[in-house]
Amino acid sequence: MSCNRFDHPTSRRDFLQTAGCGFGAVALAALMGEQQAAAAPLRVAHRPAKAKSVIFLFMEGGPSHLDTFDYKPLLNKLAGQSLPASFKAPITAMGETKSPLLECKRTWKQHGQGGLWISDWFTHVARHADDLAVIHSCASSGINHAGGVCSMNTGSVFGGRPSLGAWAQYGLGTANQNLPGFVVIKDSEATVVNGVRNWGNGFMPAVYQGVEFSSEGTPIKYLDNPKGVDRLRQRDKLDLLAALNRDYNASRASNTELDARIKGYELAFQMQAEAPEAVDLSQESEATKKLYGMDNEATAVFGRNCLLARRLVENGVRFVQLYSGAGSKWDSHKGIEVNHSRLCNAVDKPIAGLLADLKARGMLDETLVIWGGEFGRTPMSEQGDGRDHNPTGFTMWMAGGGVQGGRTYGATDDLGLYAVEDRLHVHDIHSTILYLLGIDHTKLTYNHKGLPERIDQNEGHPFTRLLG
Amino acid sequence: MGEMNRSRLFSTFVWLTGFALLPALAPGADDDAQRAAMTFFEKEVRPILVNRCFECHSNTKQKGGLRVDHIGYLKTGGDTGPAVIPGDPAKSALMEAVRWTNEDFQMPPKNSGGKMPDAEIAILEKWIRIGAPWPEDGSKKVVVTEGGFTEEQRNYWFFQPVKKVTPPDAGGKWVRNDIDRFIAAKQAEMKLKPAPEADRHELVRRVYFDLHGLPPTKEQIDAFVGNKDPKAYEKLVDELLASPRYGERWAQHWLDLVRYAESDGYNADAYRPSVWPYRDYVIKSLNDDKPYDRFVKEQLAGDEIAPEDPSVLIATAFLRHPVYEWNQRDARGQWDIILTDMTDTTGELFLGLSMGCAHCHNHKFDPILQKDYYRLRSFLAPVQWRDDLTLATPAEKKAFNEQQAKWEAATAEIRAKMDALTKPILEPRVERALTRFTDDLQVMTRKPADKRDALEKQLAGLVERQMEHERRTFDPMKSLKSDEAKAEYKALEAELKKFDALKPKPLMEAFVATDAGPAAPAVAIKTRKGEQQIEPGFLSIIDTSLPKIKATKTSTGRRTALAEWITRPDNQLSTRVIVNRMWQYHFGRGIVATASDFGKLGEPPTHPELLDYLTTKFVKGGWHLKPLHREIMLSAAYRQTARQEPDAIAAKVDPSNRYLWRFNPRRLDAEQVRDALLAVSGELDPEAGGPAGDGNSSRRSVYTMKKRNNPNELLRALDMPAGFASTAERQSTTTPTQALHLLNGDWLLARARKLASRVEGIEDAWLAVLGRPPTDKERATAEGFLKKRAGTTRPASDRAADNGEDAEAFKENSPHERLLVNTNEKEGDEFTVEAVASLNSIDVNASVRTLVSRWNGGKDSLESFGWSLGVTGEKSRYKPRNVIVQVVGEDENSNIGYQVVASNIHIELGRRYHFVARVSCTGKNITFTVRDLDTPGAAVQSAVVPMDIRSKLSQGSSQIVIGGLNKRAPTHQWDGRIEAARLVTGYVADKALAADPEKWDAGLVIWRASDPLNSMFAWNGSDTKSVEEADPFRQAMNDLCQVLLNTNEFFYLH
Repeated sequence: MSCNRFDHPTSRRDFLQTAGCGFGAVALAALMGEQQAAAAPLRVAHRPAKAKSVIFLFMEGGPSHLDTFDYKPLLNKLAGQSLPASFKAPITAMGETKSPLLECKRTWKQHGQGGLWISDWFTHVARHADDLAVIHSCASSGINHAGGVCSMNTGSVFGGRPSLGAWAQYGLGTANQNLPGFVVIKDSEATVVNGVRNWGNGFMPAVYQGVEFSSEGTPIKYLDNPKGVDRLRQRDKLDLLAALNRDYNASRASNTELDARIKGYELAFQMQAEAPEAVDLSQESEATKKLYGMDNEATAVFGRNCLLARRLVENGVRFVQLYSGAGSKWDSHKGIEVNHSRLCNAVDKPIAGLLADLKARGMLDETLVIWGGEFGRTPMSEQGDGRDHNPTGFTMWMAGGGVQGGRTYGATDDLGLYAVEDRLHVHDIHSTILYLLGIDHTKLTYNHKGLPERIDQNEGHPFTRLLG
Repeated sequence: MGEMNRSRLFSTFVWLTGFALLPALAPGADDDAQRAAMTFFEKEVRPILVNRCFECHSNTKQKGGLRVDHIGYLKTGGDTGPAVIPGDPAKSALMEAVRWTNEDFQMPPKNSGGKMPDAEIAILEKWIRIGAPWPEDGSKKVVVTEGGFTEEQRNYWFFQPVKKVTPPDAGGKWVRNDIDRFIAAKQAEMKLKPAPEADRHELVRRVYFDLHGLPPTKEQIDAFVGNKDPKAYEKLVDELLASPRYGERWAQHWLDLVRYAESDGYNADAYRPSVWPYRDYVIKSLNDDKPYDRFVKEQLAGDEIAPEDPSVLIATAFLRHPVYEWNQRDARGQWDIILTDMTDTTGELFLGLSMGCAHCHNHKFDPILQKDYYRLRSFLAPVQWRDDLTLATPAEKKAFNEQQAKWEAATAEIRAKMDALTKPILEPRVERALTRFTDDLQVMTRKPADKRDALEKQLAGLVERQMEHERRTFDPMKSLKSDEAKAEYKALEAELKKFDALKPKPLMEAFVATDAGPAAPAVAIKTRKGEQQIEPGFLSIIDTSLPKIKATKTSTGRRTALAEWITRPDNQLSTRVIVNRMWQYHFGRGIVATASDFGKLGEPPTHPELLDYLTTKFVKGGWHLKPLHREIMLSAAYRQTARQEPDAIAAKVDPSNRYLWRFNPRRLDAEQVRDALLAVSGELDPEAGGPAGDGNSSRRSVYTMKKRNNPNELLRALDMPAGFASTAERQSTTTPTQALHLLNGDWLLARARKLASRVEGIEDAWLAVLGRPPTDKERATAEGFLKKRAGTTRPASDRAADNGEDAEAFKENSPHERLLVNTNEKEGDEFTVEAVASLNSIDVNASVRTLVSRWNGGKDSLESFGWSLGVTGEKSRYKPRNVIVQVVGEDENSNIGYQVVASNIHIELGRRYHFVARVSCTGKNITFTVRDLDTPGAAVQSAVVPMDIRSKLSQGSSQIVIGGLNKRAPTHQWDGRIEAARLVTGYVADKALAADPEKWDAGLVIWRASDPLNSMFAWNGSDTKSVEEADPFRQAMNDLCQVLLNTNEFFYLH
């Protein structure tokens, strides 16, 4: 582990003073907290890259890789028996180390020119097999949902670190100041495990935190004027505020935070106009909505969110994270057939629609789509017909953003318990995602308590082979 | 850019320990041999090192802490010790690695090229055998002193003893006390000039916010500004330091540092109901001006130094603040994380060094050895989190035990009978909780407690917490199988209740820690080559002495020894660190700006002599903080105005005001903002201490619940730390979403309305919010605003009529917004809600009009378990006017679940309906029936809808509410009439339901508007009696007040 890279420290005030106090500096200040310049933001990629934005499809609760993308014929041969002694016993969340192996009831087929094995739970996505870079060897440190979801989002099993979306924004900035650069949309009102800190800014300034959009109604909390306040009245209030602030600021020009606050209110006002526009699906054709499965009750919710994700990316949002099964709904300690049948069905068509739509619009190359959960599930059964958590080997896939699809990367053992080939720990996955965005994760550091912090806690390596 | 270019560290700072002679060959070797050796090295050896090793072991990466780009590094080696012993290939780890003789230690590894050809291995061997010659490189010559540290490291200012300094003769008449001489000397050196003294208005606002975290009231301002006493300022400072408000403000700084929070921080994020006495302990310690050395000792080792004194024992909650996951099966991993967290925090907080870096390898920038990290950790390693202690004096405990024994004796038979019913079901569950752990943990947990060693006690303790969880959450009424057994249990319960009078009042649970016992668990550094046992010890670079540790019968005594060392008067680290923190909180920036990192990566001190001067005085004065506050605040430096723009010199040499040519402008902290909002709106509740309130309460923010996963939104938006790690410096961020919150959020709007209702006009509003009258220009601007919005600058004489007498009407902004039900009884997971009501409007967005609820609107915590019957809004995904029940509880997998159970029965506005929802967790569904009472002969509509939530619907913290949720939320409130409502435990049969409330005969709660209101019910409403829309002036005044609360002047001390 090496801690040898960091930026030159300086205070925000120095930075702005020396940069001059023109509008540019003020606008920058509006989007920067006190600490931001403390680790001079990069805002340009280190390396030319195709991917400009990310849509992360997070299946919360832990989707089974063994029943979807990681085909293990041996599992059904040994079903009912205990894990062979040749396998090291894992520590699992519910202690299901000794339970019999559970057969996979899916029908598997090879798809696309690459011949990817995909189960019948993802028949729509399977049509895009040649776009999918399927990584079979993912691994995480969190054996429970809290640690797992936190880890997949921030790289650490416990809270306090910035999330992947925050790092991406910190590295590349936002392409549209009137919208947040990092947006999160859930498929229900349930709370994602650990709550809002999954898309938090950790020790970075708040400007990098993810902003939750609701998929219906008002997209952002507090975006609507208070009841009874129309846009004119809001404008009057802001004008009064600006007038009072201008007088106050006039004799305090050296304090650029004061101007940043004026700008912050103006940006908020513009966001009030622009954000609803960005999520207005009435501008989309019926055919498009159908493509995403919005015409069917089972797929309508996630379809709608996938379509919103595309619109947000089109509008310059850097990082969109969609949660399926918010509140650990993919968790299936028992009755995995019922649980996963419903959830896979709810996301299969919408995801396929998203991939097709991005492709048709020529956006897929610039948009990295990521599918996965906080961990996979065990080959061992739980309560007869469920599976326990498996963070030691699971599948994620990526599409677009320049990755080479139609093939698999890494492998788990013959029962899908441990990643054995090209194991990619969450730190490696994060490094890889930044790499695909053109960022050298070892150079993207944020100075915190005297340490040059990186997303991977100095442990990750990008898996560059994904680019082919 | 900052004056310190840190990359230069790399060229001058060479990390070496135990480095001896540089010239590679033995003295006396002749030149030819030397040249030959160099040629051999350059031609044969260096290319191998470059090709095979550099990728992972040179200037950019140092895997395993090893570099091979200089012989010095090779001799020092990495995490596992020296890599090369010149002359001895057999003992050189490098050879072991490249030969692949040790399976766990093969270099280069398989995925980086694999084993080298034998010829190359032979060259390396030969090179080491002949003494590992390396060309001399003058620039990397390193002088090594005792213990393996370089001269440069030893001479680093922070490791030097605190110097006795005489204040320089500088500053002339400007000087008010010695602090100013140091400041003036530095300013003279840099040709900077101090700013004039702040006027009294600026000063009074500054000192109130600084010491109390609150704005001064108008009376307080007037008293100071008009005071002719030449000592008025000194007296004000003394008065504020003596007030209990001082502790409430300054405790916040300490709570940031110890990552204080009131919840576990993982999935369930369980509330820690007994942590708040620690917060009160900090407040009281500060108010009492407890010496800092004592304060430190109590927190690190209160259990060892005063085990019988609850007011000291609680200080060890300091050791309980790490996050905790209640259902983590990897008990070893969890304990390791907890210990790491404690060690890191202890290092940062008390010693001002980021120890975390040395967890895995010797610190790259500071002379902190990996061993030093583990030495520190060894002091803390014996800690055990205790759940079996109480915060009570021996006398209180004795009284409790005696009374408890009486109750136990009297109830032994009843309880035995209850146990006989529950044990056969409960015990297998407890056993299952145990068998979820790996075999080794099961073995140690099954051992009798007195047979466990220290580590076993710690780990088994974690396992037992999960077993205990089963017992604590066991619900006999759910788990007992037969109705007979349930009835029997209920009867026994009733029987037991009769003895309640005999039962003593429970003692306060102690959220504290002790050692696991007098023997400590082993602490070892694990490396690729094995384990090395580490005993407690201090930082090698300043103190190699062995700690004097005295074990007691129950404790190792280690933490006392650590605390004694940290609080030694000559400890140059801890003493400077606390004095610097005090300076930092007063000035907004420390003399060392990175207050928890005094190492090479931190900022160098701006006034090192001043720091030493204050430190010496502080220690000599008995470690009291109040005199230090006083000294700082009485200085001319502190009294400077912030309203001074940089002159040409300041702008050039010190734009960020490190040398204090003015007072630093600052934005208020999150808590200061919230408290100030409550103060100026006249709502601040001064109640001190005790359990925290939620964010809607009017108490000070230090008494607001701090849930790690569910922080108060306003406070978090204003940069309150999240509470996962120690925070030494807060951020001050400005974002559009923050602005949205402040402009459109309900909470701030409510404060603005309150403020508007208590001020007379523009002048008064300015005085209340900013503590000064408006300028003429401001008055004109404000009048212009009122005129434009309301057509007048004066209030209308009459206000909208109050129609609060109508008991059926539920209306926003009236005294009858919600009806709160006061009962401790729980409806359980099978219940029926019935009501007769009509609705006038639905929410224009997606909010749900609530008919009856037990819910706070949250979805992610145990407190938010609950349910709510209501009608959907305009933009709901369930379509408008749908009758739904929202439920929060545990689902099949025991995860916290939230679900909307929608009947798809859509009602019309303005019509009377008879609503019934029968909720059944065992039936896994909700049965809805809705009948239109205004349409004669209208059919009953009904629906049975599946529900995923399985339990705990009534286990949240909310009370039952008619017409809204547990907290005020206008869009979620009923807008219309509710004639009657009742809540009944169990599934009420069809024939027992009635659209005529007079026929209701049973229920946990029965309310009829026509009955006189009994004590079980209380109306809750808005105090703003006038409806805003009806009064344009009121509306405009509300807006004006809201704007004032958003101004920079309100948010900043500048």
